[in-house]
Amino acid sequence: MECPSSPGAVQEIPVAAVRRPWPAGGFTSAPYWVYNDPAVYAREQQQIFRGRSWHYLGLEAEVPEPGAYKNTYIGESNVLLTRAEDGTLHAMLNRCAHRGNMVCREAFGKAEKLHCVYHSWNYNLKGDLTFVAFRNGLRGEGGLPRDFDMSAHGLHKLRVASIAGLVFATFHDQTPPLEEWLGAVGDGIRRVCRKPLKVLGYDTQRIHANWKAYHENPRDSYHANILHTFYGTFGLSRQSQESGMVLDASGRHVYFYTKAGTEKQSADYKDTAANLRSHNEGLKLEDPSILKWRDEFGDGVSVQILSAYPSFVLHQIANSLATRQLLPKGPGRCDLVWTYFGFADDDAETTRMRLAQMNLAGSAGMISVEDAAVCEMIKRAIGDAQEGESYIRMGGSTLESGGNSKLSERAIRNFWHVYRQDMGI
Amino acid sequence: MPLVHEPHFRAVENLVHEWARAIDENRVEAICELMLPEGRYTVQSRFNADRGLPHALMDAHSAAQLRDRIMSMRLANIYEPQHYRHVISGVQIIGGDERALQVRSSFLVVRTLDLDGDMKLFAAGQCEDLVDVSGGEARFRARHFKLDSRVVETLMVIPL
Repeated sequence: MECPSSPGAVQEIPVAAVRRPWPAGGFTSAPYWVYNDPAVYAREQQQIFRGRSWHYLGLEAEVPEPGAYKNTYIGESNVLLTRAEDGTLHAMLNRCAHRGNMVCREAFGKAEKLHCVYHSWNYNLKGDLTFVAFRNGLRGEGGLPRDFDMSAHGLHKLRVASIAGLVFATFHDQTPPLEEWLGAVGDGIRRVCRKPLKVLGYDTQRIHANWKAYHENPRDSYHANILHTFYGTFGLSRQSQESGMVLDASGRHVYFYTKAGTEKQSADYKDTAANLRSHNEGLKLEDPSILKWRDEFGDGVSVQILSAYPSFVLHQIANSLATRQLLPKGPGRCDLVWTYFGFADDDAETTRMRLAQMNLAGSAGMISVEDAAVCEMIKRAIGDAQEGESYIRMGGSTLESGGNSKLSERAIRNFWHVYRQDMGI
Repeated sequence: MPLVHEPHFRAVENLVHEWARAIDENRVEAICELMLPEGRYTVQSRFNADRGLPHALMDAHSAAQLRDRIMSMRLANIYEPQHYRHVISGVQIIGGDERALQVRSSFLVVRTLDLDGDMKLFAAGQCEDLVDVSGGEARFRARHFKLDSRVVETLMVIPL
């Protein structure tokens, strides 16, 4: 399903104060100024977050019935996801068309209309203006202009579309349809979200680092089995297991998968594993039941990490399922909002297993706490970022090199390629 | 409220403070001895609890699971070296039976990062505990830390 956005919603603004030269290596290196320059950040809001990209808003299950709304963000824009009386989904700025006041103040809610408390301008759940207090003034005085057109003063609407129960929105009229935009990576979403979903809870992780440092992280499976000791040691994901990567044709979106229990012995792995802190035979759990998982999709995949440009992650870590919504909050901060879910028809034992495995991921996850730490350590290490650049050539130096191997930074090279296109830098 | 549980108050209050002091003094493993082997330790946001959502940041169904988490913290996880300071107030026994006393307290946790000394209010909220006093010593049957904010600053690796 898809709804049209407000006409003329986005105006192109020419390249701002971003005039630094990109390093000669192109997409094989990222200059550190791109992580902390306020002019770059401002241009990202315009070119990427309000540009030709789809952004994850939430699950259809979070707005299950007519009148339900969710209060969320795209970039720094405060956006409402609503379900109208006719069951259709809508997205709009949570900003009154009158004087810019916030319309909904709760994270989730149910309403018959959207009501601005400041001057009582009311909107329906599709964002159309339906009522203005004292529109005609009082006793012949005051009031709005006689030619005031209610239909031209609704909330700023976004296009909205969903795939497998996940809702996305875009500010831009020219963003291709959602499924076309996701390409082959849509299969990774449909593989996991195959039945009606049920929300199990939320976790917001506030990371004091640039949003791109986090976005690069799940596009990089090279680090996963090195940094995350828990994965390797307890066998949920190792480089020695059958694994692969799927990148969409545009290079924007990617997913990685690993199949536990498919160890392939090789001299390379044995030599490297001896030096990996992540494969620690001495580490033993007193109660390993937390790692017990069920191959619920019947394909042997124990871990699938999917990343859609620029702000969405879907994870399956054993039976832990979650979306992660990346919200930039200034050049040096971002919020990562984890939404954990199961299926509406999960039995009690399945739910218990998913809840137990929540200990593995998120802000307090025994597997994943390292990611936020690394993003913040990068921020400290690059200092004022006036000089220096990264080196992104694992698996080669082109957009194709590295193939479908997990031991490659191909997906990161592709990120910087499309990022530079979108930013015009 | 009649103070029928008054005879247990000092033991309960001491237990709550022992837990916090063990963590603040970096003897985190010691908290596992302050709960029953089959006890429960949970850290959950008020945001989830108020909505009836089961997600918890940390949820150990036994002292063994809590020991595993602390082992992971010591050996597996990567994070900036850091310390907590718990400030506990308002310990109250609000009810109970032969099996356990219902105990409430408020907490603030200030987190200090070792490297540059950055110090920040990290967590605030209420503890909803069940304390077993049947064995002569007070032990937690359940500790439920309910966080006032839905946000975790960077990461939570040391238990509260």
